[in-house]
Amino acid sequence: MAATGAPTTYSPSPVNRKQQSIFKDVDWVRPDGRGFHQCRPAFLKTGAVNSASGSAYAEFGNTKVIVSIFGPRESQKAMMYSDTGRLNCNVSYTTFSSTIRGQGADNKEYSSMLHKALEGAIILESFPKTTVDVFALVLESGGSDLPVIISCASLALADAGIMMYDLVTSVSVSCLGSNLVIDPITEEESCQDGSFLIATMPSRNEVTQLTISGDWATPKIHEAMELCLNACSKLGELTRSCLTESASEE
Amino acid sequence: MVGLSSGEKHFLQGGIAQDLRSDGRKRLTYRPISVETGVIPQANGSARVRIGATDVIASVKAELGKPNPLQPSKGKVSIYVDCSPTAAPIFQGRGGEELSAELSVALQRSLLGGKSGAGAGIDLSALIVVEGKICWDLYIDGLVLSSDGNLLDVLGAAIKAALSNTGIPKVNVNAATSPEDSAEVDISDEEFLKFDTSGVPVIVTLTKIGRHYIADATSEEESQMSSAISCSINKHGHICGLTKRGSAGLDPSVILDMISVSKHVSEQLMIELDSKISAAEACEDES
Repeated sequence: MAATGAPTTYSPSPVNRKQQSIFKDVDWVRPDGRGFHQCRPAFLKTGAVNSASGSAYAEFGNTKVIVSIFGPRESQKAMMYSDTGRLNCNVSYTTFSSTIRGQGADNKEYSSMLHKALEGAIILESFPKTTVDVFALVLESGGSDLPVIISCASLALADAGIMMYDLVTSVSVSCLGSNLVIDPITEEESCQDGSFLIATMPSRNEVTQLTISGDWATPKIHEAMELCLNACSKLGELTRSCLTESASEE
Repeated sequence: MVGLSSGEKHFLQGGIAQDLRSDGRKRLTYRPISVETGVIPQANGSARVRIGATDVIASVKAELGKPNPLQPSKGKVSIYVDCSPTAAPIFQGRGGEELSAELSVALQRSLLGGKSGAGAGIDLSALIVVEGKICWDLYIDGLVLSSDGNLLDVLGAAIKAALSNTGIPKVNVNAATSPEDSAEVDISDEEFLKFDTSGVPVIVTLTKIGRHYIADATSEEESQMSSAISCSINKHGHICGLTKRGSAGLDPSVILDMISVSKHVSEQLMIELDSKISAAEACEDES
């Protein structure tokens, strides 16, 4: 991340919601005053839930997510024998997470995307016959929810001591007119022409999940990919330092 | 799930490495495609597409509805896929639901474009009847009859064929006398409007097995995949949607290479599909 936030949370006072003008003008400023290629300040912390085997809290601007990991524990009886572990992911939103109340408590699409982004990084062979549950709860939805959930979940998995090849970090880019905007907020996402989401394992330089929608020419994909990989590796460093910090505290 | 012995696996992978697959195809060749249009009389448009042993039906139904208040000048399109347990026993219960949901999301991502409508295969503003009041709701349903791999590409092709087969009834609007009154509409039984389907993308899935990627994988080949990338590409060669499947991570440069290869493959597929669709329509008109 371009800016490392001070380890304080943000005041919950409502953001001033101005009616946004058209984004496609030549020189427009992002609603929160960031540069086009600048990520929101990130705050990450492990150990948010005591009863879980591992948990993490992430705050990227107004997007606030809490992820807890349970397990590895015995798979349900009905499940067939499996010599590799199972990963069970669930993403839910609080009823007060967005401006309109109670939209989509359980997000199946995000749950399966989270599963796909993480399963490539976890060494499932290390816990046969058992299941690891990943529960993500979006406390406040402020745009780029899924990338934040993915990054936070990998931090929580590391906190739970689940064996992984590498941490997974994820960043999304919105295409607005001719500009690429990294780490978009809700206002920007609602009028984007295209979106590009990538989840990577930064130290291994591997992509675990990639989705693109909208209209993209090939040079733009290259540009977005480079932008995201760069941001992902910075986010990886941040996640790593958060883990070292929590380990040295103990 | 396909069970392969280690000998069969080895044979399959060795063949792919030598650019000669077990059914005699090259790595980037598709199986023979057959297209039939107008298979479901009750629908506004329908098509049955077979690629090899994979067999799907897509139907398009149009209903009059109210546009979303946030987007008063746009119609609505929803895409659902049903994987019937008649195709394979694993489609029963949750296994089928998960696959259906995954395919539906991938198709929506590929065909409906971004939030602002850029890159959408279907022009949503063409579905409007009275702005802010009446629009067409298109329900696109895909049904998997038989599955032998590469479902997403076949479903994409079937939807493309079904959309070009779709006739939307012409609507005559009797202007409302006062603004509170809802306008009266009169749906014509005889006159139909055809869709412009030139913007509908084709979907190309490249499956990575070992170090190589293959197009149009059979289910035997899919059981050996490490990961797959499905690109939907329109006639301008732009990417309208991309989905990665499979758990293994990929190097970014490999992904970019796969995108450029699938672009190349899509050009031929687009030409073949277009000619097959127009042949099917001509055949339907004759009968």
